[in-house]
Amino acid sequence: MLKRIGAALTAAFFITTSAALAAEKPKDPDIIHIGALFAMTGKTSFYGTVMSQGMKQAIDEINAKGGVDGIKLEADIEDHKGGVAKAGVDGFTRLRNLYNVQAVMTSFSPPTLAIAPIADEQKIFLINGGGVSNNLVGASKYLFHNRSLASDLGHAAVSHAHDLGLKKMAELAWNSDAGDNIVKVVDEYWKKNGGTVVASEKMDVGAANIDTQVAKIRAGNPDFVGLWLFSPDPGVAAKRIRDFGLKVPLIGVEYTADVQKLGGAALEGYEFTSDYFQPSADEPWSAAFAKGYKERYHSDPDFYAANYYEGVYVIAEAMKRARAEGGDWYHGDKIAAALRANPTFKSVYGGSMVFQANGVAKKRVALFKVQNGNKVFEKYIEAK
Amino acid sequence: MDLFAQLFVNGLVNGSHYALLGVGFGLIFATTRILHFAYGPIFTAAAYAAWFAANVLGLPIAAAMLFAAAIAAVLGVITYQYLYLPFERGQGSSHVTLIASLGLFIVLENLIAIIFGTGGRVIDGYQYSIFLIGPIYFSSVQLGQVIAMVVLTALLGVYLARTRHGKAILATTDNPEMARIIGIDTVKVSRLVFAIGSALSAIPATLILLKDGASPSMGFFAVFIAFVAVIVGGVGSLRGAVAGGLALGMVESLGLWKIPTEWQSSIAFIVLFLVVLLRPQGLFGRAVN
Amino acid sequence: MEYILHILVMVCIYGILAVSFNLLIGFAGLFAMAQAAFYAFGAYATAILTLKLGLPFPADLLVGVAITAFIGALVAIPAIRISGTYLVVVTLALQVIVIAIATNWKSLTGGTDGLRGIPSLHIFGYALDNPGRFLPAAIVALGICFWIAWRLANSPFGRALRAMRENESAAEAVGKNLLYMKVAVFAFSAGLAAVAGSLFARYLNYVGAESFGIDETIYMLAMVILGGTGNLWGSLVGAAVLVILPELLKFVTLPTEIADKSHLIIYGLLLIVILRLRPEGLLAERSTMRHLPHVDDTSRHSAEMTEPLRKGEVTLSGNDLHKRFGGIVAVAGFNIVLKSGSITGLIGPNGAGKTTAFNLLTGFLSLDSGNITFRGRNITGLKSHDIVRAGVARSFQDLRLFTKMTALENVMVALPNQAGDRVFDVFFRPMKIHREEQDNLVRARAVLDFVGLTHKAYETAENLSYAEEKLLVIGRLLATGAEVFLFDEPLSGLDRTTLAEIFPIVRKLADSGKTICIIEHNLDVIKELCDVVYFLDEGHAMAIGTPDQLMSDPALATRYFK
Repeated sequence: MLKRIGAALTAAFFITTSAALAAEKPKDPDIIHIGALFAMTGKTSFYGTVMSQGMKQAIDEINAKGGVDGIKLEADIEDHKGGVAKAGVDGFTRLRNLYNVQAVMTSFSPPTLAIAPIADEQKIFLINGGGVSNNLVGASKYLFHNRSLASDLGHAAVSHAHDLGLKKMAELAWNSDAGDNIVKVVDEYWKKNGGTVVASEKMDVGAANIDTQVAKIRAGNPDFVGLWLFSPDPGVAAKRIRDFGLKVPLIGVEYTADVQKLGGAALEGYEFTSDYFQPSADEPWSAAFAKGYKERYHSDPDFYAANYYEGVYVIAEAMKRARAEGGDWYHGDKIAAALRANPTFKSVYGGSMVFQANGVAKKRVALFKVQNGNKVFEKYIEAK
Repeated sequence: MDLFAQLFVNGLVNGSHYALLGVGFGLIFATTRILHFAYGPIFTAAAYAAWFAANVLGLPIAAAMLFAAAIAAVLGVITYQYLYLPFERGQGSSHVTLIASLGLFIVLENLIAIIFGTGGRVIDGYQYSIFLIGPIYFSSVQLGQVIAMVVLTALLGVYLARTRHGKAILATTDNPEMARIIGIDTVKVSRLVFAIGSALSAIPATLILLKDGASPSMGFFAVFIAFVAVIVGGVGSLRGAVAGGLALGMVESLGLWKIPTEWQSSIAFIVLFLVVLLRPQGLFGRAVN
Repeated sequence: MEYILHILVMVCIYGILAVSFNLLIGFAGLFAMAQAAFYAFGAYATAILTLKLGLPFPADLLVGVAITAFIGALVAIPAIRISGTYLVVVTLALQVIVIAIATNWKSLTGGTDGLRGIPSLHIFGYALDNPGRFLPAAIVALGICFWIAWRLANSPFGRALRAMRENESAAEAVGKNLLYMKVAVFAFSAGLAAVAGSLFARYLNYVGAESFGIDETIYMLAMVILGGTGNLWGSLVGAAVLVILPELLKFVTLPTEIADKSHLIIYGLLLIVILRLRPEGLLAERSTMRHLPHVDDTSRHSAEMTEPLRKGEVTLSGNDLHKRFGGIVAVAGFNIVLKSGSITGLIGPNGAGKTTAFNLLTGFLSLDSGNITFRGRNITGLKSHDIVRAGVARSFQDLRLFTKMTALENVMVALPNQAGDRVFDVFFRPMKIHREEQDNLVRARAVLDFVGLTHKAYETAENLSYAEEKLLVIGRLLATGAEVFLFDEPLSGLDRTTLAEIFPIVRKLADSGKTICIIEHNLDVIKELCDVVYFLDEGHAMAIGTPDQLMSDPALATRYFK
């Protein structure tokens, strides 16, 4: 027995000293498990579908190129049932225990807020590319976002409306954190700049019926309608607004294939500010991603797929940098430190993005307009 | 005043939609006393069936609607025959049947999401027309919702009152024991109401597909509102289900005239709360213990 | 492993919820669908009190439980008027409204973002901030909550709850105060759910409205029904199965796109299969077995019961009673005088107002005018359970036995003045209750002996023969200790041999000085038993006399006897 303890102590001594002596030699896991918490079931499982598709494509691509310095990646996706805090914690705990994940891709406010304290305690790297409520910023010191803040997008949208010389704003917002964040920023901006808010209506996420809201908006006789909604509701709302004979401009903060599908012709002329994701020949990476996505899933990627695709690359790159430091690098805090040490990453949108001190990546935001059922780039927007 | 008129029409339209859902659900509930929670995903399945018929098979809308009704009826009958009936024969309490129904709800909803994907579905190229009367806008689909409710409810009323099968349904609704004694095959009657009730749900389902598109989770709200409409109106009364549905639609619409719209999901329930307190038997129901 | 510990914590939290919900659904038969709203109150109370007011444990928990219990008690008030489907809807409405408030009252609840940073529990300076550390606290909480529910369910109060579940009017007719019972059980159920809510808030350090929606209530309902209504252990099993099953299913490896949806499909199917195999739930309801005392011990009480009262005194009298239903006159100017030691018969054609008269005399219907006195005391307008306690009890034509309870329980629940009916005594005077229960057993045994059902004491009422059911009705009425018994057709549908067994029992009651009034159609029975007969028609007494006098009256004969 004593002998064995002695052996263990000697071994421990050697390991620590050797690590100290040769910081170059990294301690690698066999496989790098990247966890994810997505809405795989429930009302909003549309998001889970596209996010997981983007994530898996990136992982397959990276593995095809040899993984992270030869270590393969694996995606482990858990369902938070469309943003249920408890389901998020269930999934997160499972990921931690079964796969010893050090990096988790997350989405939706409640599950992210619920896992944030655990991530802090256990030092797990988190990255979120979905909707960003201001409340998420800084929820954990290891939480990063490669998605613009909803309130920033809203701000950009109304400043465009201001540039157009519009005065009377009506708004239809999600009755959710994201919707509230936008309304707060937008109303403040709009009033400060001499505009009036003639109607401020709320709708539940995926509400079955918004006729009342639209009727009230029409009664306000606005110059334009701000749609502070996310997929697929801008499409539904645009359609209903046109049904009610309201022909004023529509300005929003989101556009996806689903939005187009449900909105159809009603979306003609819809302008929106969004993370700039526009696959084109000028941006080889985004073009390659879009091509690969189309081959795999037979549909065009939207920016949610792009963000989670990109998120995997951010994780892989941060891990590479952490590994380069050597030693016992495979920990969330080391990965986060590597990110913070050099917060500039290549973006699938083209060019690069920079993670700010608050964890939010400064990405290109642009104004688009829907023409003939397609989004058309109008201009880049300077972040505030 | 223009706003009020528009809200009134909206209430009428949505109320008609709720009423028709309530009529189908209420027929099943009153006759079989089964809280058919899986009415929701069958409603969803009908919407997808209509989508399939119109978009993939290329049938005209009316034919797609009939196709959806047929699919829904078949699903309804299968549900009764292979889920509820064994439970009833096995002496399961109504609670147990309710949870079994919930189990089926989960199964169907996820099955639909797997088969058809999680994104929304619309009929490609379908465009409804918009009418303007005075200050009031409405679409042909909305008009269809009102007409469907009026016509189908009237037809059902006549069917129940005039035909042999209809009378058997009414007798069973009234008193299943007595119906059995006078020689009515109540299992057959139950199968019939499941067919009719489910087929009825296909019409509002198709109209919603035309109006907003279909999504796998659209069924929960449908069965929820149908249930509430039936209770508000009074169980076992066709008139009641219609009144209940219309009342819900009106309250939801007019109630938000002055109240902020974030209360939309609960306003109908506040009214419901009061209705049940003041008239526990529902608007048109008979007092039952 | 932390994952397993986490799942066990969730089992504890849902165990509390399912147990609390079972009190309402399984024991009291109150189908209230707002349990997740009570859960929410507990969670938000802890979140708000700790974050905004800095209250330390256990103040936040206690305040939360108190508030939630109070709200639960308020819900009971509509529940007194409405039942069944309508209660479902009112509570469903409450559920939706509470969540809407939690979503929209942003300054207090944080809206859909919820409230984060709720401090972890600290016990003696030891932070319970991970699943392993939290689990012991969760188990203790579950243990305490389970004990409270268990104590309540297995007390005389719990027995009364089950009686109320089986038949509300019959429970009232044996003197149970339904309003009190509903208020108490709602308060307890809601309060216990609030404990789970507080645990949830402390464990996740986060509270958001999405955790307490209608789907959560349905989830808890599934636990209760799967586990078995009316069985608290069943609720624990139900909670464990429905929490663990989905986690196990996650180990079924499937392609990402369909994995979680397929897991839910399997989950739904398993739910159906389990219920098919066990339609009563995993653990069925069991009656609490108590052993009947020896005959020797009962002698004292038998004596007490047969102790003669003075005969021939006026006990119950109804004067000029009137009752209309809409346009229909049911009772008009009905006068009746009942005397101790005598058996009065009430006859008359269908619709003559006989049962309505009983309903008026016992407070089941309110009078339009007239008054009722019992031994000179005006009891007009008293609640029916108070009238029973005063000494006037009635039976129902359609029996209304507590069918899922044993014959013994049917009798025990009817015994008067049980301290165990009061929740306070159940928890704070356990010895008193214990002694009283021993006493009650003796009394119940005496009653069962009297009606000759001792050998069926442990049989549930639904398994008795028709004649035995009738006897049990008499026994249950007898157990109320009332002085006046109003029997609504106690003997209808019985054959001659059975009648011959029951006659002496009724006679013996009268001989012991009880006042008896019987509604009856069988003239042989009337002739055999009754001292006085009232002939009722059109809502009032057309004739009063001995059976022979009435039957020889030609006018009455044409009206009724032909």
